Amino acid sequence: MLKYAPLVWKNLGRNKLRSAITGVAIAFAVAMVCVLRMLPAALDSMLDRMSTGTRISVHNQAGLTYSLPYSYVNKVRAMPGVVDVASYQWFGGVVDEDKGVQFPNFAVDADHVRVVFEDWKIEPQALDDFEKYRDAALVGTMTMQQQGWKVGDLITLKSTILPVEAQLRIVGTIERGPFVWLSREYLEQAMLAQGFSFDTTGTIWARIDDASLVTPLIARIDETFRNSEAETASETEKAFFSNMMSSAQGYVTILLIVAGVVTLCIVFIAANTASMSVRERMGELAIMKALGFRWRTLFATLVVEAALLSTLAGAAGVLLSIGATNALRSITAGAGGAGPMNAFFVSNAVLVQTLFIAFFIGIVSGAFPAFGASRKPVAQTLREVF
Amino acid sequence: MALPLSYSLRSLFARRLRTSLTVSVIALVVIAVSLILSLASSLRRTLVSSGDPRNLIVMRKGSDNDGNSQLTLQSLQDIRFFDGIARTPAGDPRLSPELVIQPFFTPKSGGRENVLVRGVEPVALSVHDGVKIAEGRMFVPSSGEAVVGRGVAGRYVGAQLGDALEFGRQRWKVVGILESGGSSFESEVWVDARELANDAKRVMPFSSFRLRVADGADMEALARRIGDDPRHALEAKLETDYYAEQAEATTQIYVLVVFVALFAGLGAMLGATNTLYAAVQARVSEIGTLRALGFSRGAILTSFLVESLITAALGFALGGAIAIALAAAISAALGGISWQAETFSTNVIQLRVGPSDLVAAFALSLAIGVLGGYFPARRAAKLRPIEALRKA
Repeated sequence: MLKYAPLVWKNLGRNKLRSAITGVAIAFAVAMVCVLRMLPAALDSMLDRMSTGTRISVHNQAGLTYSLPYSYVNKVRAMPGVVDVASYQWFGGVVDEDKGVQFPNFAVDADHVRVVFEDWKIEPQALDDFEKYRDAALVGTMTMQQQGWKVGDLITLKSTILPVEAQLRIVGTIERGPFVWLSREYLEQAMLAQGFSFDTTGTIWARIDDASLVTPLIARIDETFRNSEAETASETEKAFFSNMMSSAQGYVTILLIVAGVVTLCIVFIAANTASMSVRERMGELAIMKALGFRWRTLFATLVVEAALLSTLAGAAGVLLSIGATNALRSITAGAGGAGPMNAFFVSNAVLVQTLFIAFFIGIVSGAFPAFGASRKPVAQTLREVF
Repeated sequence: MALPLSYSLRSLFARRLRTSLTVSVIALVVIAVSLILSLASSLRRTLVSSGDPRNLIVMRKGSDNDGNSQLTLQSLQDIRFFDGIARTPAGDPRLSPELVIQPFFTPKSGGRENVLVRGVEPVALSVHDGVKIAEGRMFVPSSGEAVVGRGVAGRYVGAQLGDALEFGRQRWKVVGILESGGSSFESEVWVDARELANDAKRVMPFSSFRLRVADGADMEALARRIGDDPRHALEAKLETDYYAEQAEATTQIYVLVVFVALFAGLGAMLGATNTLYAAVQARVSEIGTLRALGFSRGAILTSFLVESLITAALGFALGGAIAIALAAAISAALGGISWQAETFSTNVIQLRVGPSDLVAAFALSLAIGVLGGYFPARRAAKLRPIEALRKA
């Protein structure tokens, strides 16, 4: 079979312009499909990167804007199997009132985050300072860059939801995205100074090391607070974030439909080229048959030609998509917000799948015209052509 | 002399398979681009139409949406009787204090979404006069009743008229369906402000004030007076500006539109080029004959370009029609497309391919037609009649 390889290659190069144009067209469409299909994959891998299955979130079953009594923190901590617990309260602080909230910032239990978020690998020295100084703040690297801050800087965060203006000192960085933490103690004291006692929290994060205890503990926590003033809904960190993103589902559906439409587009482009090539070669195909080549040999060479073209183009398209996602990321990074596009990363699974799709499309698009051509009686073809 | 249009049409018809393949490719690109454009334009339309040019929104300074703003009762009392605020016939200010909370709702398709629940007082309907109770009636304060937006009623469990809707800490009876001409209020649930504050245990009772500016009063001056009030850190802006800012979230979608249009559009353009090159090649002798008969190079060029443009126009017509139907079908199947903007709450958008989306898609298909047709057309025009005839 391999002896026909030169024939396939020569045929592919016969109309160089057409092969090149088809190749480029398919490459661009494949790149597009890659980029679109990467979005759901990007969401998934983002979830995996940012969450664990053994840290659980406890929040009010009514919604994230409903609070929990702070006393719940100690009740959850006392449960067997719970390694440690930290409260997590949205602070909604702004640096510049005209720009609004530019990064997520939370008041947390300074002496418990070390254990609860151990996997975040925050510098021990920074955590020591965070525990020691009431006005300490830990700032995510993304926010450090965005604001041009460095460790040791003094910053002011004015809360948009509480009557507090926090004067903080940055004692370290969090190697994860944009998050900014300040000490809950600072918040409580500042509220007290205003005459409010602050005894609620938005979320409670609990670390559980034994994976087999996660499900029973989730049930136990929710059972404990049933019929109380604030019923809880507990879930793993991964479930928490995927629920937060569930309303992106419609958006993802549209993108997948568009990816499907563009894939169909590739089929038509490839089929069009294959049908043109076959049509122009009717005469010589008939002669080859008359010379004794079997129709299935001719059929195979035509199909392989189409598959080769679209696979090569597919490979080029995949490379193009890697460049495109990089560009897309850098463009949208400037536009602000934590939109899904900032999480665009090239996933190998999508690349391989797309290459396979390109190969498959080549086979299908080559098969139909080739089938027609190779089944046609020789005499009839020769009569038509000459 | 120009070649008649029927020549181009018949040429297209002569190679049906390839013409229809090219038309399909262009149609598919039109579908892809219109669908993504409609995602952005539908969201924009929903948000922008929510603002009333005669209204101001007052929030805590620094808040970019009413979901993360909190206001005190004192600030309401202090600004309520400012000059320039319109009055109801009974003499009350048309100023609507509102509390916004985003509890979990369960979509019919599963999961959970944050829906914007707006706690209002009866005066709200006189400020948001685009909002109508389309079915049922307005809620009675302090009786556990709620009116739900048209989009909410279609998307979530227990949100139909007469249902008991569970959110927050209690069950609410759905007594009315609210409509506002497709704006984002249809993605909200309205209940009594005091009941909502109780349910959510809010210390500060309000998120924002919406107010109607009196006819002839200076909106800018009123906004400045509220913003400059030293007793409270408030900020007043035009409601239309506020919603336009919310709609800026759509810019990310437009980045995607450009990518799809560029990549898939280029693919379609090259596909069209290929087809036309093959057509030129197959008709060399015909072109030679036409030139020998006295048709000019320009006439040949135009004729091939027209062929390409007809293909593109057919592709647009087919693709546009399918896109319109597809958008409506997707929207109906999913009970509206949900969009969680940076406001944290979910907007239920009815996906619709609008006129502006079609104009953009049409421009793209014209570009595909012209660019895809130009090079083959030029090759045809450049053929020397003697050689063309000899080759045949």
